[in-house]
Amino acid sequence: MLDNFFNPKSIAVIGASRTPGKVGYDILKNTIQYGYQGAVYPINPGASEILGVKTYPSILDVPGKIDLAVVVVPSKNVMEVIEQCGAKKIDSAIIITAGFKESGIEGAKLENDLVKKAKEAGVRFIGPNCLGVIDTHSGINASFAAGMPAKGSIGFFSQSGALCLAVLDRALPEDIGFSKFISMGNKADISDTDIMLALSEDDNTKVILGYIEGVNDGRRFMEVASQVSKKKPLIILKSGITSSGAKAASSHTGALAGREAAFDSAFKQSGVIRAHTIGELFNYAIAFANQPLPNGPNVAIVTNSGGPGILAADACDKSDLQLVLLHKETTDELRTFLPPVASFYNPIDIMGDAGAERYEKALYTVLQDEKIQGVMVLLTPTAVVDVEATAKAVVNIANLVDKPILTSFMGKKSVESGSKILMKYNIPNYSYPEEAVSALNAMYRYHVWINRPEKTYPHFDGLKDKVTQIFEEVKEENRERLSESEVHEVLNTYGFRQPKSLIARTSEEAVAASKGIGYPVVMKIISPQIIHKSDIGGVRINLNKKKDVENAFFDITTHVKNIMPTANIYGVMIQEMIPGGKEVIVGITKDAQFGHMIMFGLGGIYVEVLKDISFRITPLSQEDAHEMIRETKTFPLLRGVRGEAETDIEAIEKSLLILSQLALDFPQIIEADINPLLVKKRGEGVVAIDARFTIGGD
Amino acid sequence: MISLYVGSTSGYSGKSLVSMGLGHKFKKDGFRVGYFKPVGILPIKVDNVLTDNDAWRIYRVLELKDPIVDICPVVLTQELAVKGYLKDVKGLLGKIEKSHQRLSGDKDIMVVGGYGSIYTGGVLGIQGLKVIRRLKAKVVIVVKYEGEYIVDYVLQAKKDLNSKFIGVILNKATPEYKQGIKDYIVPFLKRKGVDIIGIIPYDSIVGSITVEELNDMLGGKVLCCHDRLNNLVEHFLIGAMQVDKAIDYFKRTRNNAVIVGGDRSDIQLSAIESDTECLILTGDLYPSEIIISRAEQKNIPILVVRDDTYSVAKKLERLSVRLRLRDKAKVARGMDLVTENIDFPLLYKKLGIKIGQ
Repeated sequence: MLDNFFNPKSIAVIGASRTPGKVGYDILKNTIQYGYQGAVYPINPGASEILGVKTYPSILDVPGKIDLAVVVVPSKNVMEVIEQCGAKKIDSAIIITAGFKESGIEGAKLENDLVKKAKEAGVRFIGPNCLGVIDTHSGINASFAAGMPAKGSIGFFSQSGALCLAVLDRALPEDIGFSKFISMGNKADISDTDIMLALSEDDNTKVILGYIEGVNDGRRFMEVASQVSKKKPLIILKSGITSSGAKAASSHTGALAGREAAFDSAFKQSGVIRAHTIGELFNYAIAFANQPLPNGPNVAIVTNSGGPGILAADACDKSDLQLVLLHKETTDELRTFLPPVASFYNPIDIMGDAGAERYEKALYTVLQDEKIQGVMVLLTPTAVVDVEATAKAVVNIANLVDKPILTSFMGKKSVESGSKILMKYNIPNYSYPEEAVSALNAMYRYHVWINRPEKTYPHFDGLKDKVTQIFEEVKEENRERLSESEVHEVLNTYGFRQPKSLIARTSEEAVAASKGIGYPVVMKIISPQIIHKSDIGGVRINLNKKKDVENAFFDITTHVKNIMPTANIYGVMIQEMIPGGKEVIVGITKDAQFGHMIMFGLGGIYVEVLKDISFRITPLSQEDAHEMIRETKTFPLLRGVRGEAETDIEAIEKSLLILSQLALDFPQIIEADINPLLVKKRGEGVVAIDARFTIGGD
Repeated sequence: MISLYVGSTSGYSGKSLVSMGLGHKFKKDGFRVGYFKPVGILPIKVDNVLTDNDAWRIYRVLELKDPIVDICPVVLTQELAVKGYLKDVKGLLGKIEKSHQRLSGDKDIMVVGGYGSIYTGGVLGIQGLKVIRRLKAKVVIVVKYEGEYIVDYVLQAKKDLNSKFIGVILNKATPEYKQGIKDYIVPFLKRKGVDIIGIIPYDSIVGSITVEELNDMLGGKVLCCHDRLNNLVEHFLIGAMQVDKAIDYFKRTRNNAVIVGGDRSDIQLSAIESDTECLILTGDLYPSEIIISRAEQKNIPILVVRDDTYSVAKKLERLSVRLRLRDKAKVARGMDLVTENIDFPLLYKKLGIKIGQ
């Protein structure tokens, strides 16, 4: 798939130019100067030869077959060119030309027409508004980038051409090798997912890097990313997560920037390794491309100074990595050759006077310890240290073992020569220890991802039909919200326990209802205008006797009438009061790109301030439900603190899974939440105290 | 004894304010004054006696001594309203008459405050017109002046009230209507035999609301400056513009509250710097600490509400119809307005009473 983009036997540069400095010139120059073996046909009606290559007035005049068309003509001529491509049976094109969706309404129209035309003509294309494509292994540089990266195993695709250029420029002096470079432009035809699939099947690519501002089809993205990430590390930098970032992104390539939470969940659920900065993208890439994955979280740090060792240890503590104690045999062995003042525990401080030999021996010894699954070597450029010799020593040891070794030779000037050696022999070196920790952590997490068992997706079938009518009625009546009784029935059908409740219109009825349910009870106002009852004093709890109920009825109804004279009060709801338990929120929201997401968070009065919530995109797997609860900062509260009993976490998991089923059964749900969902002690389940459902669309 | 029923053709026209002001002036002129509210719609319990909140306020302002239980014999609680719909409730009219009798024994003038319009109350068999006839009261109609169309309602009320009708008070007349009232409405009504007892101009203080009332109404949470909840808000501004425009906009009006999204810290700061009375942050979004501390320095309360900006604005737009006489400053101002703008000589003449009799 997409083979003609990366391995064509012939290329036509349509819009090739004689004038140096013009894109049409640079592209032609790039295609011929980096050892590409196939035929190159410059197309320009006004020239017979450019850069010594015979030039044709149109592709239709080219005698042979053309595999790939690179289009650099002005936007108004692109349609015609694509038509000609169809006639010439060219099935792949890179459209460099700008002036489409990114430029405004006219451009967007043109882009729509272009997509249609290309489909008719049977042409797949990358772009428009892109920088081009580079394949170091076939020697193709069909781009107007300045320079050609070294051959390597990193495949990079980017929505931003400028970022491509920056990454390329950064990679050149450090000799970081790439397999492919793809500037995606407006992604009008070939999308991120097409490229991800192509790169996952490409033998020259070990690691896939991507920069995206938004995706067009969230579900498809997740599906492909899950598939790809099982085969190769897929590291993505996603921008446009803040509102100002989104503004910039939308005016950039017209992409609709998804919500941060949705992308975050999507990445987690499909095994995408998320980079938050360009720096991280790079740091991760060189680690994944050059080192084996660790088999577990246990790492050791070998350092020649205390401070950086502690910094690295701190960083490990915040990550999933663990600094474990070495085996006694290892420590004993270290004692035989390290000075007595050295630190033999992890981090292993071999002291500032350590030379290359001590590094080599210490590293070798630590790596022999079977508990250790990865090592970070830190070096501070002291006066006695021989940077180059130490780098070589690390390289020697690294060749002997199949555990990842990352280094941080700190500083710049005096470690530069060492860094070059390390990078040349595939040891990723970082300026600071934290970067090494974060890269190794990403590798460990990826190791967990590829080794995790297949996800299980519980089903709750046969419930949908029982409440379909409710949802249809709400739609027919043009309502957005389900009434209280409708919500009750839906939740009841899906197996949620709810407090016993009865409606009362007068205080007499309220007293009778309370007796029927049994004291203590809760009273809530019922009014179509009042959604958040407690906000306006419409809820009273812990009513223990007849008098309490009578007073509460008077208080609630008059209070509401006083502050909302126009509200229609139907009566009150008397509800069983559930003692004990912790309040959590579970819910469904809908993202424009990824569809339904399930939400979990700790409830109670601080929820609005703490905003400690987690999301997963539906369908939810058992594992997702498990993780998303444990991901919140307040999770220990559910476990029970200071001798409290553990709450029924399994019941929350089941609630989340049922909500996922509900979302699946009723795509029209825009928003739903059960707040609070009261979690009782382990084994006693959960109770849905209050809930809301909003539907729309679909 | 004369009973003067203060009625209207629609709810929320300013009857309570007028009743309070009339009672106050009658008292000052040496009459023995009583206040009676046959039907209350704002239930409250005072010393465990069910009464009406507005009636209770007027009772205190006029420093009355009558038994509270008679001030408002019928209070429209949720309970009573529901009963009225489910089956006919009997005997309320008689109850009203008895309370009125008990109160009026030692009075020269009874001010009777109507509820809703003179046509409401039928569900419980106590329609305003019926109460007026039973109490043999004279009626002054208070009309919230919202445009020329109100004259039709006034003429209908005159017809329905017949000999009981003594005139009309045009209330909340905003400056833009002044000319029209003077040149068209007054001459027209006079020609039709309707006496104009008074024209009360719109007043922004009386039309104001305290921050606390606002918070109750919007179901908000107060984040700071709890001691400033009695700040009076006269105008509402929506902060949805560019920052550079915001400050000018905020400074143009006095005593304003600014409604703004909880995440618009730029606008929030502008509002604080331009000395707003209150910040209403929408969307259930909490502001940054910097905003709160700045507001605390400047003594500006911040409310966080769940609704979005549009919904809040919509709610507050309808606010003018539900203002209550709660704040002291507002009450004093309101009574001044009534005494200054009502033609008391004409009113006394129509009631057939004289000062010093």
